[in-house]
Amino acid sequence: MTPGPPALVPARTALLFAGAVAILAALPLVLGFSPYTHNLVTLTFLMVSGALAWNWMGGYLGQVSFGHGAMFGLGGFVAARLMLLEPAPPAPLAWVAGGLAAGTLALGAHPTLRLRGPYFSIATIGLGEAARLVFTYWEDFTGGASGLSLPIDADTKYRLYWWGLALMALVIAASFVIRRSTLGLQLLAIKADVEAAADVGVNATFYQDVVFALSGAVVGVTGGLYASYFSFIEPNDMFGFDRSISFVLMSVIGGVGTIFGPVLGAIVFVLLRQFLLASYPQLYLGLYGLLLIFIILFEPLGLSGLGFRLLRRFGLGQKSAAKASIA
Amino acid sequence: MARFVDLTISAVLLAGLYATMAYGLGLIYGVLRVVNLAHGGVIMAGAYMGWVLHGRAGLDPYLFIPLVVAVTFGMGVVMYRLLVRHLPRGAAGGPASLLLLFGVWLVLRNIAYLLFSGNDQTLRTSYSTRALPLLGSFVSLNRLAVLAIAVVTPVLLHLLLKRTYLGRAIRAVAQNADSCTLVGIDVERIYTLTFGLGSALAGLAGVLSATLFSFNPAFGSGELLKSFVVVVMGGLGSVFGVGMAALILAVVEVFAILVLPSYLTAAVGFVMLVLVLVIRPGGLLGQRVLG
Amino acid sequence: MTSPCRSLCLALSLAAGLLAPRADAADKGKVLVGATLPLTGAEARVGGFFKEGYDLAFEELNAKGGLALGGKKVPAQLILQDDTSTQATAVSLADRLVNSDKVDFLLGTYASHLVEAQSTVAEQNRVPYLNGGGGATKIYKRKYKYLFGLISPVELLGTTLMQWVDEQQKAGKLPKPAKIALVWENTAHGKDFRRGVSDFAQKSGGGYQIAVDDSFELNGKDFGALLGKVKAAGVDLFLVDAHLPDYITMHRQYVSSGMCNKVVSYGARGAEKDAVQALGADHVSGILSGVWWSAQLASKNAQSKRFVDAFRARYGGRSPEWFQALAYESARVLFTAIEKAGSADREAVRKALLETKLDSLLPGGMIEFKPEFGQQVQNPFVIQQNQSDGSAPIIFPHDVAGAEGVAVNPRCAK
Repeated sequence: MTPGPPALVPARTALLFAGAVAILAALPLVLGFSPYTHNLVTLTFLMVSGALAWNWMGGYLGQVSFGHGAMFGLGGFVAARLMLLEPAPPAPLAWVAGGLAAGTLALGAHPTLRLRGPYFSIATIGLGEAARLVFTYWEDFTGGASGLSLPIDADTKYRLYWWGLALMALVIAASFVIRRSTLGLQLLAIKADVEAAADVGVNATFYQDVVFALSGAVVGVTGGLYASYFSFIEPNDMFGFDRSISFVLMSVIGGVGTIFGPVLGAIVFVLLRQFLLASYPQLYLGLYGLLLIFIILFEPLGLSGLGFRLLRRFGLGQKSAAKASIA
Repeated sequence: MARFVDLTISAVLLAGLYATMAYGLGLIYGVLRVVNLAHGGVIMAGAYMGWVLHGRAGLDPYLFIPLVVAVTFGMGVVMYRLLVRHLPRGAAGGPASLLLLFGVWLVLRNIAYLLFSGNDQTLRTSYSTRALPLLGSFVSLNRLAVLAIAVVTPVLLHLLLKRTYLGRAIRAVAQNADSCTLVGIDVERIYTLTFGLGSALAGLAGVLSATLFSFNPAFGSGELLKSFVVVVMGGLGSVFGVGMAALILAVVEVFAILVLPSYLTAAVGFVMLVLVLVIRPGGLLGQRVLG
Repeated sequence: MTSPCRSLCLALSLAAGLLAPRADAADKGKVLVGATLPLTGAEARVGGFFKEGYDLAFEELNAKGGLALGGKKVPAQLILQDDTSTQATAVSLADRLVNSDKVDFLLGTYASHLVEAQSTVAEQNRVPYLNGGGGATKIYKRKYKYLFGLISPVELLGTTLMQWVDEQQKAGKLPKPAKIALVWENTAHGKDFRRGVSDFAQKSGGGYQIAVDDSFELNGKDFGALLGKVKAAGVDLFLVDAHLPDYITMHRQYVSSGMCNKVVSYGARGAEKDAVQALGADHVSGILSGVWWSAQLASKNAQSKRFVDAFRARYGGRSPEWFQALAYESARVLFTAIEKAGSADREAVRKALLETKLDSLLPGGMIEFKPEFGQQVQNPFVIQQNQSDGSAPIIFPHDVAGAEGVAVNPRCAK
């Protein structure tokens, strides 16, 4: 037990964080982003949120999920269906509803949480693929393989920048709070050894359920915003295996278990993908594969770990040695 | 009745392929305790090798099976020596090895994209559309050949594990690697050979699938998942167990068409995977290993 | 731990700097047209065909000096990218073409599901989007203002096919009632086809009975289960709507499991050279296909003849299929509209497209984008039948037919 609990969030950090969010919020108005940049940054916000939420499971709990696409998809389609109603509810309400549905779905996957390590990962692959097939078949809900078009409204897409920013800020703050709270310690204990954690009175099943549901809900909300962003969604993209692994890749490549890692990973993911899309549409997969191999073998903390290492090499940030560890 | 015969025949034929896909995955897991996510990638590589050899050399795909098996064996050896060897093994190595081999899979997929583009390919032989009458139904000649190979393979594998020194060593390492070191078995060498053998089986499954289905660089993910189901259900207690599990999966999938829209039959396997994992959480393969 | 937000700001502003907008497109001295096509992935073959059509149209135009705008000749440039046959990529690339490459107009990609996804970007950014690759009516029912379809609805294909079948039945060549296995791709395209056939069957007053009505996944790998169902039902008509890769995979399994039905059709697919090559002319003989255009129309229609001649000259004597024709025609219609509008102004061109009444190579000879059909053309289809020598003459409608169709597939007799 730590002597005298430290403040959950140090005031300096909180202040810096609020400042950064404010700057980001003002940026498009000050700089006058081109629509292209504006959209790209919006997309980055969404992916950062998704990657961080995945990280709660994969990093904090050490349960590597290959099935988060199921929650992303469900959140997206529930939100899309609501937005297609006449009269449509306000978009934020639809997103939250999508998140709730996705969180519920995650709770439904409760039995798989008895599995640890690779067994859990394999079960999530199975669940994710089953979800993709079922939802693709369920055309009354998802429109089948041809998907759904949402009402088009350029304003919503423009404003999505701030909604995405708000979501991201919330998720970063939540990640921070979870990390520093007792809950974070309990999750670490579960990650290190489930049985030992149970012995010292940590209710592993309960906390895993809570984190999975939270993670699923946030990924679901992200799915809803993503649907609004594209004005068109289809199940093979939303529920696809590639979608699920994108969350894994962003977090692991950035640095699993940290907060900065998934943020960095998502930024790199979106930019690299966008950059390679036109000239080498397939190349990004192999590049991520190579990065993944490199990271697992040499730098378990991913790009952020690499960054810290470089900083130390140059005598900077000695104290900022990363304390988190690989799944 | 005719329909029942039809469906049974297709289930049996399908089971052969499923079993072949699963042996390699089960062998590597049984000995190294590593879940080889690159398995699907090697299956895909095997399919392309068959396609290239058939297209370039004009050889019958069944003739160059030994060549493909040899090359994929080499791939497995390289994967192990270069990458997997450097990981901690056992439960601690779980997620790390999973992600590492997943990376290998992505790289393999990308190499295939760069070499062959993402187009769907088919391997067509003079007899790929020929069918034989059997019990009032028709059976594809090609599928029969696949089944024959799928029956011969486990017999050979069984003999290898039971009758040869290498096989005994593999089984010994699977049971207790530390004691093997004590009695002078080169454990690293056994691990290398096992990984090679597992990959070779995946390569074999790849060539066989190429003669039946169209494929592209993303090919292999469904095959990987089905291999999981079979390994999880059958365990590697015996080669026979894998065969039975493959048959069960095939029968359930094929007969699901009677109650489900054909679109959803593929989901049946995935649901079975999760159910089996959850109901038998003791371990992928149960307690018996290579017994 | 360093505060995550500080580094985040840094990274994001860095990113913003990297992606600063490119040089303004206003004084570029040419008209930019953007398009994506599935040059790799499942639809790669057809994507390549569409590219041939687009390329030919742009080469012809620029050989004349370009578009005649206000007494000046302005060249047009096509920026073509590969959408890898996936919807998400098609959407991202279209966004990039419009907002980063600053194209003036968009030409469509191929296959309904990609067009449906991509056209949302055009509508969002108010860019006229003309396509010859998305035939599903669902795309046009959204009443988009900037979307134009040069490809007749797939529903009409099902209906035309059934009209020919019905003629054969009335002539006593097919049993009455005839049992149908209706197998469709689970997309808007497939559902259209299904509606066309099943509506016809319902109105026939008992002439047709749909015994199997099942769907399959786009780009499927194994149709064994589905074919087993069809086989067990013992149907007379095997009517499928599939895209090229699925047609090849499915028909290979169909033949190898010893199946043969009196009438076999894969909707718009059947006569493609790739399929004949992959399956063997013998195995695809008798298959019916309904297509939007055929090179055989050259003998009946001057526009078609001009196109076929130009295509053969450009591509070493090869004959075009409907893919190239629709791509070429889409580009040509767009050029005509731009010239009529007199500028590259998007609103003016949209208006010109709406008012288009143009002689065309399409069957029916005239194209119009009527708002009541969501700006989708309504030209008729032609039905072709594969022969054992690998050719596929038109057999219906009779005014353009080059041969007589055979009702009962001769392959089954063997």
